[in-house]
Amino acid sequence: MSFEMWAEKYRPKTLDEMVNQKEIVERLKSFVKAKNVPHCIFAGPPGTGKTTAALCLARDLYGESYREYIMELNASDERGIDVVRETVKTFARVRSIGEVPFKIMILDEADNMTADAQQALRRTMERYTETCRFILCANYSGKIIEPIQSRCAPFRFTYLPREEHDKYLRYIAENEGVTLLDEGLDAIYEVCGGDLRRAINTLQAAASLGKPIDAKVVYSIAGRANPADVRKMIETAMKGNFIEARKQLREMIQKYGVAGSDIIRQIHTEIFRLEIPEPWKIKLAGIVGEIDYRLVEGADEEVQLSALLARLVEAAYEVKGAKKV
Amino acid sequence: MYLPWTVKYKPKTLKEVVGNKEAIQKFVEWIKSWERGIPPKRAAFLYGPPGVGKTVTVEALAKDFKMELVEKNASDYRTEEAVKRFAGLASQYGSLFGARRIILFDELDGLTGTADKGGVKAITEVIQTAQCPIVLIANNAFDPRFASLRNHCLMIEFKKPSTTEVLRHLKAICLKEGIEAEENALKFIAQRSEGDIRSAVTDLQALAQGKKRLTYEDVAWLGFRDRQETIFTVLRMIIYGKTCEGAKRAVNMADVDVDMLFEWIYENVPNHLTDPHDLARAMDALSMADVYRGRIKRTQDWSFIRYVIDFMTAGVAIARVNTKTSGWTPFHFPERIQALSRSKEERIIQLEIGRKIKRRCHISAIRAAKDVLPYLKIIFKNNAEMAAGIAKWLDLTPEMVEYIAESKEKAAEINKFLG
Repeated sequence: MSFEMWAEKYRPKTLDEMVNQKEIVERLKSFVKAKNVPHCIFAGPPGTGKTTAALCLARDLYGESYREYIMELNASDERGIDVVRETVKTFARVRSIGEVPFKIMILDEADNMTADAQQALRRTMERYTETCRFILCANYSGKIIEPIQSRCAPFRFTYLPREEHDKYLRYIAENEGVTLLDEGLDAIYEVCGGDLRRAINTLQAAASLGKPIDAKVVYSIAGRANPADVRKMIETAMKGNFIEARKQLREMIQKYGVAGSDIIRQIHTEIFRLEIPEPWKIKLAGIVGEIDYRLVEGADEEVQLSALLARLVEAAYEVKGAKKV
Repeated sequence: MYLPWTVKYKPKTLKEVVGNKEAIQKFVEWIKSWERGIPPKRAAFLYGPPGVGKTVTVEALAKDFKMELVEKNASDYRTEEAVKRFAGLASQYGSLFGARRIILFDELDGLTGTADKGGVKAITEVIQTAQCPIVLIANNAFDPRFASLRNHCLMIEFKKPSTTEVLRHLKAICLKEGIEAEENALKFIAQRSEGDIRSAVTDLQALAQGKKRLTYEDVAWLGFRDRQETIFTVLRMIIYGKTCEGAKRAVNMADVDVDMLFEWIYENVPNHLTDPHDLARAMDALSMADVYRGRIKRTQDWSFIRYVIDFMTAGVAIARVNTKTSGWTPFHFPERIQALSRSKEERIIQLEIGRKIKRRCHISAIRAAKDVLPYLKIIFKNNAEMAAGIAKWLDLTPEMVEYIAESKEKAAEINKFLG
């Protein structure tokens, strides 16, 4: 067993090593061949290889010393307009002296950039196209302003297909000398849903227990590592205990920093599994959608989601009333 | 020895009474006039707000002039009959032992319509024939019940003493109690009392008894207690409001800003709206208020604040349809705010660890703290060797290792591998 982060150790180094997103990888390879790269948007859910693809592209393009030609910026950490004005501009305008006439700026989690920073970025992209190409990685391309989108080649990343996911994890387990049972693998897929980074982290955490990895181990890891126990929160609300449900919500958001958008996605999935009248399901879906939109607009996560919880309490109450009659 | 300080430090002579020098002067002159024969007004009516020293003045005067004080207050019955029985005393100037006598009817506001029926009339009659000074005390002398009574009395108004005067009194007490008190702490108490010396002294005792030092921090929460009082009233007006107008008006009474008021309402609504339909409506209204807060933030157009207020007050008030008002439900301080400040420290170290992860893992620090840290915690708990490897690989500080391991013992185990 190796003692570093496996998600990093097993990150593909070249485009050839990338197991998924076949079509995307092919197009990226053609960029390398032509030694020309357009501005790109890599959009898709977490753990699907966006950053990896950008890094692989750079390595294939520039060779082992690729780090000299790229800059990686994380918009979640450095999202203000000042960063665009200073850091990005300084990097973008200096011409590179290699075989490839431009450098690459990787803007990770670009959907977290403020709107005015994006406006500033737009100008920078235009002005320094000759010396610098931008790759914007984002979960939602919709959060990137239209003028930037129209300047970029869009690439849509999707979750790994099951076979690829399994193959990859089995390979890692074997390499690390870890016993990964089939049921353990099933459980990892169920819990992580094709998010490869999360899957590998789960695998490593499970391996740290020093036992064969079965479903039970995986679920216990997931339970501890994913405090977004949305199902439990919904159950609490459906029992009519709004105050307790709100407390659980608060804990997820404040203590564990779970994003509201993650919580809402899970609630959306759960709604259709609830034992409530069919019309209520679509009513709730409408409310979820509205709240999802409000969060994108920048509303308070806890306030909005607790309004949704109150609706769940109401739905459960109606079901109970109907049964009594 | 736990005497209330209001008793322990009650003025023993007129000189010690705080403030109201003019009123006392007038009162003393009237008493002195009795030595020259019965004055035109046989009674003095001392009136003024509570706790400014009316009763204390009469008591101190009796002592200063070596008079016998005969007192009736609200705790005694003051029916016509009871007063008349008492009146015999008033018919003589002095007592059997030669001491002159003052008769005091205290707390006249407490005279109730039926129980003390005829009391005011009887007192008036007693005054007209009194052979010794009679003193009446009330907060509101201009109550219509006292109209005829007033004609027979010398009216003496007691005003609230100034903050400086109250402060001087508090300082004197602290000196005697051996308490070293910060000037601004005492000033705070004095100001808050608004001239009610009794409440100021009570507060001082509650805060300072048994202490050597009294600081501003010790007393500052008093102000908070007041603010809670008003916020409770405001919340009641909103959550139990019947009209939009009434609920909206509550905002003007609140001495917290709109955001803070929102938190108070948001915290307390679920406890007070138990019907699920009502609760859903109220939470809906709050979520709309929040949407407008977001719009203010985005557009910087503060005129939207009126919609925030509409939804968080009127919207919540009209949500109540089915919930019955039953019993008394307390209001709570917004827990969300407390929790937020509590977890702040934790978020700082999480972010620092996130930055370390970011350097190696192509992931933002925020994301790393959220997505990777939980797995590290599991690894650090279960596998010290792997944890040590990762700690080295990420270049974590000992504090970070201890934070992730969540115990000193685990951290020590991991450090062994680090050598």
